[in-house]
Amino acid sequence: MSSEPFKNVCLLPQTNQLTGLYTIIRDKNTVRSDFVFYSDRIIRLLVEEGLNHLPVIPKTVATHTGEDFSGVGFKGKICGVSIVRAGESMEQGLRDCCRSVRIGKILIQRDEETAIPKLFYEKLPDDISERYVFLLDPMLATGGSAIIATDVLIKRGVKPERIFFLNLICCKEGIDNYHRAHPDVKIVTGCIDKGLNEQKYLVPGLGDFGDRYYCI
Amino acid sequence: MNNKCKDNPTEQQLNNKPPELKDKKGGHKLLTISSNSKYTPPWTTPYIIGIGGPSGSGKTSIASKIVSLINVPWTVLISTDNFYKPLTDAERKKAFNNDYDFDEPDAIDLDLVYKCVCDLRAGKKCEIPVYSFVNHNRISNKKITIYGASVIIIEGLYTLYDPRLLEIMDLKVYVDADLDICLARRLSRDIVSRGRNLNGCIRQWEKFVKPNSVKYVLPTMNNANAIIPSFNDNRIAIKLLVDYITSKLKRKSMEHVQELIRLGKTEKIRSLMDHPMVYILPKTNQTESIQTILLNKRTKLNDFIFYFDRITTILLSRVLDNIPVANYKTIITGSNCEITHCTNIDFNMICGITVIRSGDCFIKSLKMTLPNVPIGKLLIQSDSFTGEPQLHCELLPPNLTQYKKILLMEAQVINGASLIMAVQVLLDNGAKLSNIDVVVYAATETGLRRILNAFNEEIHIYVAIMISEKDLRMGRNSWCLTRFIDTKYFGSE
Repeated sequence: MSSEPFKNVCLLPQTNQLTGLYTIIRDKNTVRSDFVFYSDRIIRLLVEEGLNHLPVIPKTVATHTGEDFSGVGFKGKICGVSIVRAGESMEQGLRDCCRSVRIGKILIQRDEETAIPKLFYEKLPDDISERYVFLLDPMLATGGSAIIATDVLIKRGVKPERIFFLNLICCKEGIDNYHRAHPDVKIVTGCIDKGLNEQKYLVPGLGDFGDRYYCI
Repeated sequence: MNNKCKDNPTEQQLNNKPPELKDKKGGHKLLTISSNSKYTPPWTTPYIIGIGGPSGSGKTSIASKIVSLINVPWTVLISTDNFYKPLTDAERKKAFNNDYDFDEPDAIDLDLVYKCVCDLRAGKKCEIPVYSFVNHNRISNKKITIYGASVIIIEGLYTLYDPRLLEIMDLKVYVDADLDICLARRLSRDIVSRGRNLNGCIRQWEKFVKPNSVKYVLPTMNNANAIIPSFNDNRIAIKLLVDYITSKLKRKSMEHVQELIRLGKTEKIRSLMDHPMVYILPKTNQTESIQTILLNKRTKLNDFIFYFDRITTILLSRVLDNIPVANYKTIITGSNCEITHCTNIDFNMICGITVIRSGDCFIKSLKMTLPNVPIGKLLIQSDSFTGEPQLHCELLPPNLTQYKKILLMEAQVINGASLIMAVQVLLDNGAKLSNIDVVVYAATETGLRRILNAFNEEIHIYVAIMISEKDLRMGRNSWCLTRFIDTKYFGSE
């Protein structure tokens, strides 16, 4: 079962399989096709974990033998919001679990003059305030763009406790920064790295996720 | 009526025997009842029938009549004609001149016949040679592969000759015919069907067939339990024989079902919920919701397939969580940091085996999880009447021993019989018990208990849902007692 190393941080169980998958995607000699496949495997695990936090309601159905079965049913609607571009790599994983899920996009880039991340573009479902939101961004380093993206969601009326921030790698510093701004958002992650280097990159990290997933 | 039974206890006598004893010479036991006994898979004790008699007496036609009348899947008919020894060049020349003695016991490789039957009896694969009468040699690249049998019928001249074969036969039948009639049959068969000439046939008969029949074949009548007339109307004799065989098979199958029930009951009743070898997928909001969708009879086919694939993907991922680490290595990450002691997993060390057809419901999720995984298949079907599993074919990846993890998949376990057989087949093919992971979507606790008991509690089992014995006793969750998953998944409702 997943653990909660910090408040509102849900860490996938560190099994042989999961740590083995991370070895593959971290290794710079891994070819892109493998990088994509094994990242997708981890993303799927993150999505499944995130979905587990959604509430359900009791539901009774009739089985093929005619006997009733008292189970549960999904409650509430969800949507995915990816931070362009790397976050888009996680959309397929979400779709694999929720076939017709709505997906919003947010583009945030560093302003070249001030070096501060700035919102460039957003396109979100109209009824997003009624939905549970999976915020998708594979790397949580300083948390700068994730904080802005979450601001956007909250401004659109999404309740913070209905937001789940899914990432593959994060670090203590990023978690602290992000939770200082949005303490009620649950972070779902697969790995907590040592920290950041001077360039504010994750260490040991895996490089630029978007580049490795889409380009290199 | 010219058939007589001897040395054969009546049905009444047999019924009075204690159930664990088999009616076999040599005191071979089908089932033992000591408390630490292992499960004996059913196909290791097939019912073996020998049919002997002189050439041309009609053994083949009687054997095939019996096969069709007992109508049991898994009946294997072995003709000793396949086991003629390969000839040397000199012998072959003689054979073409009708000068080679095919009719003495030595011409047939009875050692190999015995080995084949023993292999079948032990549940191993058995390869039957194919003999060409045109070349008088075994066809080197052609063999008939047989795996497992409920009933083995051995038919041929010297079936009742070799004492080792006689020892393992449950029923010995001699087909009796006057040699005149045998000659007449042989002539018409050899001349009409095999294109031989009359003189050659007669010479062969006088020189070899008749003397050998008198010297070696006729005395084997003494080894028989039943003698059947070959001429006129032998329908009643065959009917009696078939009735007898059927009653024996029914009894054997009942004993087997009893044994399965016993396996489920021996252990001091301890819930499998916390058994160290049984992993049950933890209940979460998602797994519970998916379960509800799968059990809802109104769920549409495409939804059923989608959610079944999803839950099996979750389950397979849990199975792989415990994959052994191949080694630890040092890597340089994409951001040029060095990490030592990284877990290195070799996903090529895994292979999947599905039990057709319900295990095939796992193929899509398996391929999603391990795209290049080799997949083997076993066709095992439970006899719908007796519940006894029967192995129809095995298509396994070569060299099973090379895999560190063998995922054996079946959608449902009800009584556990087919999975017990499947595991045994993998073991027979060299797989190590500790490397086999049984992966099942829905299982009854009783079925899992049987599998555990059959393999000394040394086999790992992963299930998404287990229905407890208590639930079933209380009449709850009886949906798990019918095979609905593959029926629905493949749209064959």
